[in-house]
Amino acid sequence: MRKDKLSYKLTKIIKSVLAALAVPVLVIYILVAKPDYTLMNGLAHIVLPVAGFVGDVITWPIRAIGQSIDWMRETSNLRTENKMLREKLDAALSMKYTCDIAMQENKKLEQELDVKHASPYETVIADIKFDDSVFHHDSFLINRGKKSGVYTGMVVVSFENRLVGVISDCGTHFCRVRALSDADSNIAIRVVGSGVSGFLHGDGKNGASVGFFSDTQFVGRNGLKIITSNISGILPSGVYIGDMIDETRVDVLHPNQISRVMVLKYNDTDTYR
Amino acid sequence: MYKIVNVLKKIWPFLITVILWRLNAYFWNPAGILALIPIFFYTFVKPTDWFALFALIFCFLIDYRSGLPLFWTSLFCVFYAINGFQNYIDVPHTDKNGILVFMFFIGIDIFVLILSKFTWINFINNLWLFMWLSILYIPITALDKKITQ
Repeated sequence: MRKDKLSYKLTKIIKSVLAALAVPVLVIYILVAKPDYTLMNGLAHIVLPVAGFVGDVITWPIRAIGQSIDWMRETSNLRTENKMLREKLDAALSMKYTCDIAMQENKKLEQELDVKHASPYETVIADIKFDDSVFHHDSFLINRGKKSGVYTGMVVVSFENRLVGVISDCGTHFCRVRALSDADSNIAIRVVGSGVSGFLHGDGKNGASVGFFSDTQFVGRNGLKIITSNISGILPSGVYIGDMIDETRVDVLHPNQISRVMVLKYNDTDTYR
Repeated sequence: MYKIVNVLKKIWPFLITVILWRLNAYFWNPAGILALIPIFFYTFVKPTDWFALFALIFCFLIDYRSGLPLFWTSLFCVFYAINGFQNYIDVPHTDKNGILVFMFFIGIDIFVLILSKFTWINFINNLWLFMWLSILYIPITALDKKITQ
């Protein structure tokens, strides 16, 4: 179509008008739908799998080459890793005896004190599909969704039972998980052995820090262990988060350090309220 | 053979957008953000039929994955509208495939994101993304010339 033609100019103006009209609609939606964005998430649940499938098909050869290189690298590192793991296993086995005794004692004490813990009745293993740490947001997608019984608000942990994040949106076959370092992440925590509670919030890039301690005199220090608390009534309590690095910063697990996670499902439906 | 090459030339803008969006990588291409390069290029510099609608969908997908509700989608609409109404800058005929206009587009958006949550880490991270996107704009748009000619 010639650019000086009237119909071309008219089409261009109509398209621009439509784009201009879309802007206030989108802005109003952003303001009104906050924080659930039901419509946007619903649309993404359809568009994302379709685009993902098309992308998977198109990029298959590139990803296959990338994976082969990864495998080759991993294979070359296998011998060294094996040696390292054997050493770790020996150390772990020698610790096991001490742990067994401590566990028995702990169990006895729990019975005497009548302590009841909410424990997960099922775990769903999922692969991290996309690690989307960008700008001040840090989220990732996992390949399990509502079809696997996973829902918004459930906690995602690593294979070492360390908290990685909380599910923020759930599709049929995928979920978006908000990592602890996301700027919008704010969860209730407890400092092990002190009874002090507080809130852990992400700094938007790889880290998280604790604030609003229940005891104003409390000063954090390197090595203190942080676990989830149920004071805000959202997360199950007692899930290990990480160790404190200094007075406020906590060494949290970042999704780029792992490739597979577990979603914890609890027997008691109130656990997640 | 000629037909295949012809089809490939036609679908190339769509293909490169999907490829860049899908090949996401932590640090180098988070949330498939590099797809913004073909999105900008084939919408404003080298307008392609039906690409604007496709670009809108991929802006939405980048938004969803990066946790920014409709941010790039809204700004894409704003730029699309402004570009359509103005005739002061002829984007398709600007130097070096419109890299300066692209840097302006990306720069404004990233500046808004820096202001929305200012920390030094975010500032450096966003600056890196701005530079990385601007640098990669040159080879990716040059690739278009190689393929379409």
